[in-house]
Amino acid sequence: MKILLGLVSPTAGSSFIFNVNSKQVESRESVGFLPENPYFYKYLTGLETLLFFGKLCGLQGKPLQEKARHMLQTVGLSDAADRRLGGYSKGMLQRIGLAQALIGDPHLLVLDEPTAGVDPAGSHEIRDLILQFKSQGITVLLCSHMLNQVQEICDRIGVMNHGKLVAEGRLDDLISAPNQTELVLENASPSLIEAFGRLATDSGARLLDQRKPHADLERFFLKITQPKPEAPSTPGRTS
Amino acid sequence: MTAAPKHSLFSSRRVLALAHNTLLELIRLKVFYFILLFALLIIGSSIFTIQFSFQNPLQVLKDVGLGAMSIFSWLLGLLCTAGLLPKDQEDRTLYTILAKPVSRFEYLLGKLSGVFLLITLAVLLMSVVFAGVLGIREQQEIAAAMQSSSPQTLALDLEAIRSAAFQANLIPGILLILLKALLCSTLTLLLSTVATSSVFTILTSVVIYLIGHVQGIAREAWLGGSETAAALKVLSAGVSLVFPDLQLFNVVDEIAVGTALPMALFWQVSGLGLFYILVYFLLAQVIFASREL
Repeated sequence: MKILLGLVSPTAGSSFIFNVNSKQVESRESVGFLPENPYFYKYLTGLETLLFFGKLCGLQGKPLQEKARHMLQTVGLSDAADRRLGGYSKGMLQRIGLAQALIGDPHLLVLDEPTAGVDPAGSHEIRDLILQFKSQGITVLLCSHMLNQVQEICDRIGVMNHGKLVAEGRLDDLISAPNQTELVLENASPSLIEAFGRLATDSGARLLDQRKPHADLERFFLKITQPKPEAPSTPGRTS
Repeated sequence: MTAAPKHSLFSSRRVLALAHNTLLELIRLKVFYFILLFALLIIGSSIFTIQFSFQNPLQVLKDVGLGAMSIFSWLLGLLCTAGLLPKDQEDRTLYTILAKPVSRFEYLLGKLSGVFLLITLAVLLMSVVFAGVLGIREQQEIAAAMQSSSPQTLALDLEAIRSAAFQANLIPGILLILLKALLCSTLTLLLSTVATSSVFTILTSVVIYLIGHVQGIAREAWLGGSETAAALKVLSAGVSLVFPDLQLFNVVDEIAVGTALPMALFWQVSGLGLFYILVYFLLAQVIFASREL
């Protein structure tokens, strides 16, 4: 990742970003980067931070102001725009980090452990933001040890082991079992399941497993911790 | 999406953004206020200490004030510069900045420019306070002379007081104090590109500061004597070349007693200072450009 960003030199070989050698500063025109556990300048406010990074990307004046405000809105930090980063939570720092990475309208977003140390709710928000950027056509290069998150976000993966790429390809190709099919039924009676088993056997297939699906722990956590919308009050009743 | 302008190899806007940000960072750090406050206190307290001196009070005040400005501007530059690169790297802000289309040259220049701006502002502020204190003291001395001097000596006494007060000949001296602080700050930046900790950078910079002040004397002693070994002469010449003779910038004593600084000497010392600043900065850039981050 550091080689790609020109921070260290490769011992052998070379890397290119959209056909520009990553040793050249010019290659960073189309890159946004969020390092692991970023701190930024804690004496700056959220807005000042984005204005600073925007200037480094060549933006200025009114377009820069508008862009910075827009990015704050995108990452949900408009209310904290004038607060110093020293008072930001871990999740907020990661989100301002995403905003600074995107302020120069990059085509490639490089994220190093974007949810490390962030609580599940913050992690969920960051994941949604990454998916939003992906849907906008931005290529996302994500480096993470949180494999569930990688599975949710990435189309292609590469597995590094002791500094070497040991597997690389489309996620579906690498982890799906092509000769197996998973069905999830609701309100299925025992007789229906039994019938399924017989039908499978008759057609030459084999029913390998039958179990109750488990909810994802993160979803369960979010379900019980997120505030429920208040029910509308019933008119005409007094206590 | 709005398209960013095409990349240029050097952008003064990027350097200015970095310099402004560095200045803002340093101004919001409490160490700046502490040092400045301390410098102001020293100058202010000198008004009272001169009561116990047998010399001309205004001369003592100038001596103390210029000396304090020299020490505190150097100290301010040293402490602010030593932490610039290590802190940015520790917080990974360095990576975030260099991941933008910013060259290492622009980064280093922006950072150093920010410190230069801060030192210049500090020296300017100290000069204003210094001139103010000196002005007040001058008025007090004049009032005292009006009361105590005889009519025959009054004109001479007033002339002596005015010549010892803040005059234009102080400005070149203050400029050299500023230049010395900028030079030491650039040297500290150079050290921080190779050092692994801020403490090491600060200590090494202090040692070089001391060498810079005594190397002129040592050089004269070694090179002057015919019995000095050749190896020692080479070593002395090497030290003289690598480290600037900081004693050259100490013209405070002469100016404090009213001696005007010859402009030729001023330009010579300024030129030497600027030359060392340029060399140290370029060396810092060469090291920083090849450094693995």
